[in-house]
Amino acid sequence: METINLTSIKKEFTVEASQQTAFEVFTQKIDLWWPRTHHIGSSDMTEMVVEPRVGGRWYSKHTDGSEANTGYVLTYQPYDLLVLAWQIDGDFKCNPDLVTEVVTEFISEGPTTTRVKFEHKDLHKLGNGKVVESMDQGWGDIMERYQQFTLNNN
Amino acid sequence: MNSNLAFNALGDPTRRAIFEKLQHRPMAVVAIADGLPISRPAVSQHLKVLKEARLINLRTVGNNNIYELNREGILAMRNYLDKFWDDALMNFKALAEQTEKHK
Repeated sequence: METINLTSIKKEFTVEASQQTAFEVFTQKIDLWWPRTHHIGSSDMTEMVVEPRVGGRWYSKHTDGSEANTGYVLTYQPYDLLVLAWQIDGDFKCNPDLVTEVVTEFISEGPTTTRVKFEHKDLHKLGNGKVVESMDQGWGDIMERYQQFTLNNN
Repeated sequence: MNSNLAFNALGDPTRRAIFEKLQHRPMAVVAIADGLPISRPAVSQHLKVLKEARLINLRTVGNNNIYELNREGILAMRNYLDKFWDDALMNFKALAEQTEKHK
């Protein structure tokens, strides 16, 4: 059985789409797949945006006209690799001192098959990795959901 | 178990420092306050927030209040993000496949 590092979240699955489509949907159409319930703005979210360049902003727009930063683009390498800096801290605010990496790799396995390797790293910056790793409770739940996810998506 | 509370509680650098101290061993308030540049009442206030977020537990041993990590509360925090990315990535997969079909 695969061991999961509890200081990071890893997901791997295949998508029946070309590498280019997968990359473009992930970046340019993030607004269409991002769960609407998850934002840190002061009112309802109208749009989620990733600016397609290194250093580009990752932010949400809201009904009251405000914007809320989620982070920024660390690596923009079409159509292989996207690394985003997630800067939302424990107070659900964007903290410029906090950088946790969200790494998404797109590996072409055929004309319309792409393997996606996703990892949200450095979760210990939000809590404490050693403590989390040493825990013996909850493993069953995590493994079950992880396997469900990979099964459903392969 | 409220994971949002756990995230909020760890958003503060002092509370993270306290939380990290407690990973080594359970401690009384005096030991926790030692080395931190804030007053004992301020430490107690931070402990209260961590406790409400279910990240730590309070045990009374004799006359001493001993604080220790609450393992279940900590796992809940990670689970929160794990669940979020599951939902988000499944949406992404569906949209990418739909987009490919209509090319």
